[in-house]
Amino acid sequence: MAAPIAVHLEFGGGAELLFGGVKDHQVTLPSQSEPWDMKQLLAWIRANMLQERPELFVQGDTVRPGILVLINDADWELMGELTYQLQDQDNVVFISTLHGG
Amino acid sequence: MPVLCSSCEQKRAVLKRPKTGHSLCKECFFWAFEEEVHQTIVSARLFSPGETVGIGASGGKDSTVLAHVLKVLNERYSYGLKLLLLSVDEGITGYRDDSLETVKRNQQQYDLPLKIVSYEELYGWTMDAIVKQVGLKNNCTFCGVFRRQALDRGAMMLKVDKICTGHNADDVAETVLMNVLRGDIARLRRCTAISTASEGEGVVPRCKPLKYAYEKEIVLYAYFKKLDYFSTECIYSPNAYRGHARAFLKDLEAVRPSAIVDVIHSGENLSVREGVRMPVQGNCSRCGYISSQALCKSCVLLEGLNRGLPKLGIGKHHRLHGKILAREPLTQEEERKLKAVDF
Amino acid sequence: MCQVDEEYNDRLEKRTVPAVSQKCVKCKEGSAVLIIRAGDAFCRSCFKEYFVHKFRAMLGKNRVIYPGEKVLLAVSGGPASSAMLAQVQEGLSRDAPKKLRFKPGIIYVDEGGACGQRLEEREQVIAQLESIFRATGYPFHIVHLEQVFTLPSSVLEAVSAAPGRPEGSYKAAVDQFIQNSKLDGSVSPGDVSPAQDSALQDAQLRLSRLDTRDTPNGTPPFTPQHGRDLERLFASVRTLTAREDLLQTLRQHLVLHTARAEGYSKVMMGDSCSRLAVKLLGNISLGRGASLAADTGFSDPRYGDVVVVRPMRDYSSKEIALYNRMFGVPSVFIPGLDTKAPDKASIQRLTESFVTKLQADFPSTVSTIYRTSEKLHTACPPQNTDSEPSAKCLLCLCALDTKVEEASAFHATLVSERLSQKRVTESPGVRAGNTNTPASGGQCCSSRGEQDGSCGGGGEGCCSSNRVPPSLDLKSLLCYSCRLTIKDTTALDSLPQYIVTEAERRNRRSQMKQEISEFLLDEEEDGEEAS
Repeated sequence: MAAPIAVHLEFGGGAELLFGGVKDHQVTLPSQSEPWDMKQLLAWIRANMLQERPELFVQGDTVRPGILVLINDADWELMGELTYQLQDQDNVVFISTLHGG
Repeated sequence: MPVLCSSCEQKRAVLKRPKTGHSLCKECFFWAFEEEVHQTIVSARLFSPGETVGIGASGGKDSTVLAHVLKVLNERYSYGLKLLLLSVDEGITGYRDDSLETVKRNQQQYDLPLKIVSYEELYGWTMDAIVKQVGLKNNCTFCGVFRRQALDRGAMMLKVDKICTGHNADDVAETVLMNVLRGDIARLRRCTAISTASEGEGVVPRCKPLKYAYEKEIVLYAYFKKLDYFSTECIYSPNAYRGHARAFLKDLEAVRPSAIVDVIHSGENLSVREGVRMPVQGNCSRCGYISSQALCKSCVLLEGLNRGLPKLGIGKHHRLHGKILAREPLTQEEERKLKAVDF
Repeated sequence: MCQVDEEYNDRLEKRTVPAVSQKCVKCKEGSAVLIIRAGDAFCRSCFKEYFVHKFRAMLGKNRVIYPGEKVLLAVSGGPASSAMLAQVQEGLSRDAPKKLRFKPGIIYVDEGGACGQRLEEREQVIAQLESIFRATGYPFHIVHLEQVFTLPSSVLEAVSAAPGRPEGSYKAAVDQFIQNSKLDGSVSPGDVSPAQDSALQDAQLRLSRLDTRDTPNGTPPFTPQHGRDLERLFASVRTLTAREDLLQTLRQHLVLHTARAEGYSKVMMGDSCSRLAVKLLGNISLGRGASLAADTGFSDPRYGDVVVVRPMRDYSSKEIALYNRMFGVPSVFIPGLDTKAPDKASIQRLTESFVTKLQADFPSTVSTIYRTSEKLHTACPPQNTDSEPSAKCLLCLCALDTKVEEASAFHATLVSERLSQKRVTESPGVRAGNTNTPASGGQCCSSRGEQDGSCGGGGEGCCSSNRVPPSLDLKSLLCYSCRLTIKDTTALDSLPQYIVTEAERRNRRSQMKQEISEFLLDEEEDGEEAS
């Protein structure tokens, strides 16, 4: 059983509009049997944080194409993308590069 | 309250035209549709009196409508054309044999002569046999290349002056988008041309009289006229990338119905920079068909099939053309690369 | 019908999941922080060097910006134009041999009035931007979209460019600049730039004869009436596609006018390659194929005296977003017309989502589309100095693409329109605008997709107005695509006055030409138009 972990989430480039206009979010992911990975985090964000139009943020089990993800200020493509296992105090940034926010 | 026809203002409209947004009744629609094809034929000077014109007939909606409209217009405006149907039998069981039945019925209905050329007689291979060797990934390449030549050869056998095909506005617009997505500037420049002037010896000029006709209207025309056509997708056809372009075009049409003809307008007005290298057309040194390489695509594909090296014609293997022409054997390494078929 | 008569399978490589590599491919030492195109992993400092170098390489390669020249940076507040501003600062601040040597100014166009933003929100955004702009020390111009209602009609005139400079003159200009700087220690404004020769300056002065509107403190830069006019104009446009297109056109007019009024001869736009790929495909879908090269190439010469350049065209939006984040480049998110709109809300929006999704599966999508623009022709068709202004579109100022041969999509559409309407007693050669019988006029504004034919040249009859004279024939002055936009605009009388005035002038001029044509011996101009 993994302990709950605290992560810092940041939304920018217009993605924040889907989260009530708030860019910074300090969240605590509840304790669960396996360690948290990015795939689960996205599902959790969708269920608990997204305030409107979830399809503009997540599509399928990943982020909508055109949204960049940084984990601790590095490209998530370097970190295994959806399979990255989150650590306590991780910093995850989502930046939309899409024109229409 | 029913919408009235915007042309006669008397009868109930049965469709809304995607290109202009007008609503028309059945009779006015038939008239407008046929008249537009006529205008296309006249303004682009597609035919001359006395010519023999082969209609590429697949049994599908486009070529069925084309055959019907050409027959109507040939009589209405005394084009003085000798029309005939030209079909290609690719040898696809369960698809082509059924659609050929449709073409044979068309022959009766329109009272037009019909010529069927088969891949088997031309190349010694049916599509069924090709698929057995190459699998489902690249079979459309074979079929497309072979069909183009097959139509030409059929046309030459029948001493046809021109071939016309059922390509419609959606097809042309899709090809424009496709060529942009591929960055293929040479094809982008050519693909909106309504007719190919005789590109070389042994090639019959082709044209697309339905170039400005929306697929939607073609289907409705066939439906209201109760034309007999065959409507099953080719069982070997799925082509993912082209599918993307098609889906995008359909979405565009949903947002702005004129988008299809707008894309064609764009394609017709692109100006390509001078100095961008364009392939030079020559002739295949084996069969004489036009080709920008020593061997035409069809001969390369055929060679690959006959040698059991299906990948020979897929991708770029121009440097092997010399060997093929000289009937030299390939090295083991070369053979190994060309044999592998990834499904 | 099976469409596969060309093989498309090669070259389209599917995306592969990148191997997780932790070292920078460039210096082989630093640990990688991002993957840019082709799966190359870069460390922070190599990425910065690469990013900075690319900007100067782009300007160096194209050699269109002269030393001492005044260059207007169009900054929207978004990531790409903010990164462009940062690159200009970087390039001007350095004392390196490759130092940039032009004189920058900044323009921001506040479009809040067309996008339904509240005044307070707009003021807030402007305050944020002003503090960013002030920090650069460059002159800046905040322009509001409402100001289109005060533009002079001369905006719509294209000035023929300065006579072509011989090859090698760029180097001469640079040498002269360096010489002068050595003598004076500084360069005083206005000298040496060959682009600023006197003829051009005269032209600019003439075109900007209206105020430059430096408003005194506290006075709003536009009246509430103009605010209402703008709202009314955008509300009268039926589709988001046309609204976005109109907004783009009006914004361009404001930027052009400001550049002329303030003596800038270049405008820098921050379009990234991701943006340009979307724009290219989107413009094809909008029927803008004829001006595609100017719309998406490195430089756009269509206005003549003011040339638009796009120095960010080699950067992907990913590179830009990461650069801004890593190196603290400030940008401001400003909601636009299509913010939060669904994917199928407009052609532009649909194209963006299509390209972005395809890019996720086929990573070469954006660069392939974008490279197409380099193979297109940028040069405008030859324009001699006394050429008719009607040869350019009234709105987007591209060369008119409607004088095409009869076997064309354009004529096919006209034929369809004619055949789909009541066959009124047409005399041959009658203007479409005159067929506006009450019967056909009735459907004019009723349903979407109505055609210009029944709506007449300028929407007379159904769209009654006191400002647009009933005889105004807008349609004939527009390119193919701008016709589509105007077709979706129901209240043509809400167009800004400068557009109406210029349209009337062109109408009068062509009418006059027609009247005197039989007395003219020189057929040259007519011959040109027919070609």
